[in-house]
Amino acid sequence: MFTLFIKLLDRLFERGTRQVAQRSSRRGALVRIGKLFVASAFVLPVLPFDRTGQAFAAQDAKRKQTKDDTRCDYWRYCAQDGYLCACCGGSATTCPPGTEASKVSWVGTCRNPDDGKDYLISYNDCCGKTSCGRCMCATSERERPGYRLGLHNDINWCMANDSSVFHCTTALVVGLAEGEA
Amino acid sequence: MKKSFRVKSLLFGLCAGVAMQAHALEPDVLTVTKMAPADAYRVYIADPNFSSLVDGRMHVIDGQNMRYLGMVSTGFSGLSVLSPDRSELYVATTYYARLNHGERTDVVDIHDATTLARKEEIVIPPRHAQGTASRSLIQTSFDGSLLYVQNATPATSVTVVDLRNRKVLAEVPTPGCWAVYPSPTVASRFSAMCGNGSMLTLTLDEAGQVATRKQSAPFFDPDSDPVFPMYDRNGDKFVFVSFHGKVYQADLSGEMASVEPGWSLVGAADAKAGWRPGGYQLLATERAAGRLYVAMHDKGEEGSHKNPAKEIWVIDLASHKRIARLPGHNAVSMATSRGDKPRLYLLDATNNDLIAYDLGAKPKLFKRMPAIGNTPIHLELQ
Repeated sequence: MFTLFIKLLDRLFERGTRQVAQRSSRRGALVRIGKLFVASAFVLPVLPFDRTGQAFAAQDAKRKQTKDDTRCDYWRYCAQDGYLCACCGGSATTCPPGTEASKVSWVGTCRNPDDGKDYLISYNDCCGKTSCGRCMCATSERERPGYRLGLHNDINWCMANDSSVFHCTTALVVGLAEGEA
Repeated sequence: MKKSFRVKSLLFGLCAGVAMQAHALEPDVLTVTKMAPADAYRVYIADPNFSSLVDGRMHVIDGQNMRYLGMVSTGFSGLSVLSPDRSELYVATTYYARLNHGERTDVVDIHDATTLARKEEIVIPPRHAQGTASRSLIQTSFDGSLLYVQNATPATSVTVVDLRNRKVLAEVPTPGCWAVYPSPTVASRFSAMCGNGSMLTLTLDEAGQVATRKQSAPFFDPDSDPVFPMYDRNGDKFVFVSFHGKVYQADLSGEMASVEPGWSLVGAADAKAGWRPGGYQLLATERAAGRLYVAMHDKGEEGSHKNPAKEIWVIDLASHKRIARLPGHNAVSMATSRGDKPRLYLLDATNNDLIAYDLGAKPKLFKRMPAIGNTPIHLELQ
């Protein structure tokens, strides 16, 4: 939805990692997930975690995954900017309970590593409650300044709702991008 | 009665207790701190407070002693700008009657910049752009008589506020264009950057109606090398950079914008290493010296245009030559002070530190102030 607040992202991401890890130690069922999460945070240079350091590694389409929509490297999030609704009681395609879907959105183009096709992705915010605060994710592939407003993510896309208060962001497949069969 | 008696007894007891101590402290009287007059290094840091956007704020910092001076509340997704004489701070923002729901009211809150007290408000159309705080989305006219506020519904327009009479003058549509760049010579004139790579310039009459609307020829390609709407001033010229490091200087004083041919601040070898500008407030000028400071990162690629700085490049605007490279401090935002002995202030995005450099022949690290605010993103200097 908004902007790349690296400090915040860094802190949230680290905290999220720690929380998952702590929960894992208390609940055996989550141990494996926690380990995976921690491992991925440190091994894969996943955005935005990676952006905070000097050693920025190129975003690589190969690193995108299609299984876990609570992680920033999920393939649809290539032009994300906001708290992932999948961490807030919703999913990549549903708003959390009691929020409202945004009436307008910005659009990205992301490659699905499973079929190698480029898809148009609509980043709809979910609105009406204060910031979710979980799983901040900010990427900006093909994001453009406000003179291309439909491609711009440094603005609140709850702007046209009765309550424009921003909660989290989804990522919906609209269809194949131009030029894809 | 009984309760009152008990309170009195308690008070008496307390007083007796205090009186028994030798050299007792005098009772304090709570007052409100008066700020010393500002020097050239007062820094205003916009912090939208991303984790609770309805409660944005601006931090006011003494950039000489790196000391926290105070705060201004900026509401939900506020856009702020100082008056040209720095006596007032204008914040265009949104309030809901019931915090996160109810009736939406957008206002320009007017704060006294010398006391940080809120003075008054002007209700504006409930459409102000709820965008990341940026000087490109709100500006006064050069003489401080008008305020231009970017709107987005997402149709784009600009609210024009008459600051002298404290009322909205007009709302001007700017379809396909973004940002407000006030003319340095004509109060009722502003420009905006457009999706076809051109600059739109609007001149208003006294009633705020559009008198002339002139679109420049496109000067950049928004597809292959978009220009960041962020700017700083070099004298009367507006300085912009593109995603790939082209520098454009625009004269926005006339009825139609005139933009000088762009030139690259990135040499061939550096371009090969992927050096590109990145960040939010990613450039600043040192006006007297004609220098441009740009936040740069290497290994740049599609989507890296908001990456924090690995280096700050110092460019001579007249010769187009790079004259120094400074550490980047992971800066995403920067601004320079005005007047003699200018300083460059950087916001380190990884730890919210404010970092100051003494400029001059050889820029030198001056001081660092740690951990300011929650999600600071934009700087303005006194």
